[in-house]
Amino acid sequence: MDPLILASECDVANEVICAPANVKELFEFHDAIFTIGGVAITRTMILMFLAAFIVIGLLYFGLRRQRLVPSKFDVMIESLVAFVRDGVAKDIIGPEGVKYVPYLLSIFLFILVGNLFEITPLVNFPITSRMAIPFFLAIVTYVIFVIMGFAKNGFKYVLDTIWPRHVPIGLRWLVGLIELVSIFVLRPFTLAVRLFANMVAGHLMLTLLLGSGVIFVLAVGDIGARSIIGIPWFALGLGIYLFEIVVAVLQAYIFTLLSAVYIQSSVHFEH
Amino acid sequence: MTGNIELLKGAIALIGYGLAAVGPGIGIGIVVGNAITAMARQPEMAGTIRTTMFLGIAFTEALALIGFVLFFIA
Repeated sequence: MDPLILASECDVANEVICAPANVKELFEFHDAIFTIGGVAITRTMILMFLAAFIVIGLLYFGLRRQRLVPSKFDVMIESLVAFVRDGVAKDIIGPEGVKYVPYLLSIFLFILVGNLFEITPLVNFPITSRMAIPFFLAIVTYVIFVIMGFAKNGFKYVLDTIWPRHVPIGLRWLVGLIELVSIFVLRPFTLAVRLFANMVAGHLMLTLLLGSGVIFVLAVGDIGARSIIGIPWFALGLGIYLFEIVVAVLQAYIFTLLSAVYIQSSVHFEH
Repeated sequence: MTGNIELLKGAIALIGYGLAAVGPGIGIGIVVGNAITAMARQPEMAGTIRTTMFLGIAFTEALALIGFVLFFIA
């Protein structure tokens, strides 16, 4: 019920759409629900733990026992695992990509569940629209691909980045500088911002459209026929709602895919 | 002439976001258009092309999304 509260101070008699009074409120941390030993637990944290438990539960109950004829649920979970193993890890990283499957599968399912909270009724809040969560996941990917780059290529990993031998000598310093900044500074940043900004944009659109729709229609007693404005807003909001299902799945896929691409580019460094 | 630049900040940020969206819009159009051409020519390569297309979109889209974030920060 968060969005409705934020937009409820809307002047329905004069405005055409109900923007939240201060959009920045959507990015602020709400008050802690309760406190455990000095650590304040907010709604975002509860949803984060819920997402983790959902992922663990799905994998545990889906892969608990190997049956000759698996149930429908088992087949669904197995095809998700096979999708990440064959479609992402083996396709992008190559045969040795199998050892990254546990990590890629974890982030894929965690981000997927976190994103799908956006369109879950009564939750309507993607946990990945708080910068801390995508940024932490991006830093984990960053640590993995930098460590693997050093483990596979030694110090040559950094040396060949700043002094690429396949580039003409006159441009070598410039290409090296661009590569250095883009690999070690921009990669984790853009990886996190891509997921974060997509989810914030979707969350804002749903808040704006569905919130406006409901508020205008509920105000029918005050403004009479003018409340018909709410119907197209609500219809557009439902259209965006369907679109957000696609965005939620696609962004989880892209985050996993880019993590695999970054790992591949530091493992097979010379290509 | 007296004015308060603070009042214009939101409008300027909005123009900045609009400018940031132009390039990636063209870029994503080129990426997807060429991917469709490639898939139509070689349907058996559609899976690989689709993966590469998503990668291209993701890299291109990042610029527009940074603009979107800066709009809120401004």
